[in-house]
Amino acid sequence: MLDSYFLWLEATRFSAWVREDPSIFVFPAVLAAHTIGMALVVGVGAALDLRILGVAPHVPIVEMKRFFPAMWMGLWLNVASGLVLLVAYPTKALTNPVFYVKLTLIAVALRILKSVRRRMVLVAGAHPAPMPARLRLLAVASLACWAGAITAGRLLAYTYTRLMADR
Amino acid sequence: MATFQIWLVHALSTASPGVAAFMRSHWGWPVAESLHFIGLCLLLGAIGVFDLRLLGVAKRIPIVALHKLIPWGLGGFAINVITGSMFLMTEPDQYVYNPSFHFKLLFMAAAGLNALMFYLIPYKAIRRLPPGAAAPRAARIVGAVSLTMWLAVIVCGRLLTFYRPVACGATGPGFLAECIPARNAKR
Repeated sequence: MLDSYFLWLEATRFSAWVREDPSIFVFPAVLAAHTIGMALVVGVGAALDLRILGVAPHVPIVEMKRFFPAMWMGLWLNVASGLVLLVAYPTKALTNPVFYVKLTLIAVALRILKSVRRRMVLVAGAHPAPMPARLRLLAVASLACWAGAITAGRLLAYTYTRLMADR
Repeated sequence: MATFQIWLVHALSTASPGVAAFMRSHWGWPVAESLHFIGLCLLLGAIGVFDLRLLGVAKRIPIVALHKLIPWGLGGFAINVITGSMFLMTEPDQYVYNPSFHFKLLFMAAAGLNALMFYLIPYKAIRRLPPGAAAPRAARIVGAVSLTMWLAVIVCGRLLTFYRPVACGATGPGFLAECIPARNAKR
């Protein structure tokens, strides 16, 4: 049932263009954008987690929120580039369980980030402020989720069973 | 040049047979790649956040305090030098003859020189800055160059596979040094 949908999507001009255009500014550029977005989201997220875990203790933690726009930029870049990659190879991603593992880990990491953002305001004031155990736990979980999401993402290239619906 | 490249490819591929055996095992390459991507995030996270501060983001964070993140960025870099060397030793032909890899190394060297400039010129003045102060102009330039160079390194790394030279039928180390002159001769 889904196959007919994949077939239709893969036959659209946009999907074929992203997949087949030989220019370095099409498919490779989308992949490069997806990597930059990842580095921004996970990079800034990891910097925040490390701060919570006690690295750079004299950094006022609330001020870390000034770096969040870079993170949102990366996130939207990756939603956009990820959708383009998905339209180019829908069967490849959606028939692979690892893809759903990746999406779940990203969702959990973003949910943790929301929680961290709410709690980090509460530790404002004197710094170096002692970090509540709960916040530290969230930071560890966040790092683990991002590392897992990256690994799952990388494994997509090795674990897919079907590349396209018609083969 | 071809002689040097043949020698280099041969030296790399015989340097550590254990590495190649691991990388050619079922999960070797994907595991090393995942670590390489995690290292990249640590590197850009720590160093990029510091660069943004130099550029004027989050001025209320004292630069010296944020500098404590840098060792984690260097840790990410170390992970990537190790995993990157593992790729290079396993498939030297894919890299030694790859223009995207050459540019990647060039941008890495530029980022390194830029960091050296930072510690030689504005770093001492920055240590004495009160919290909330803007970074001096030299430091702002360093921050902008650093961000640009590391993003360029990421782009070149991601594009590597699209500039992978194609084998021409010759075998053994340095096969491309034989292939490239043959290909150029045809033009």
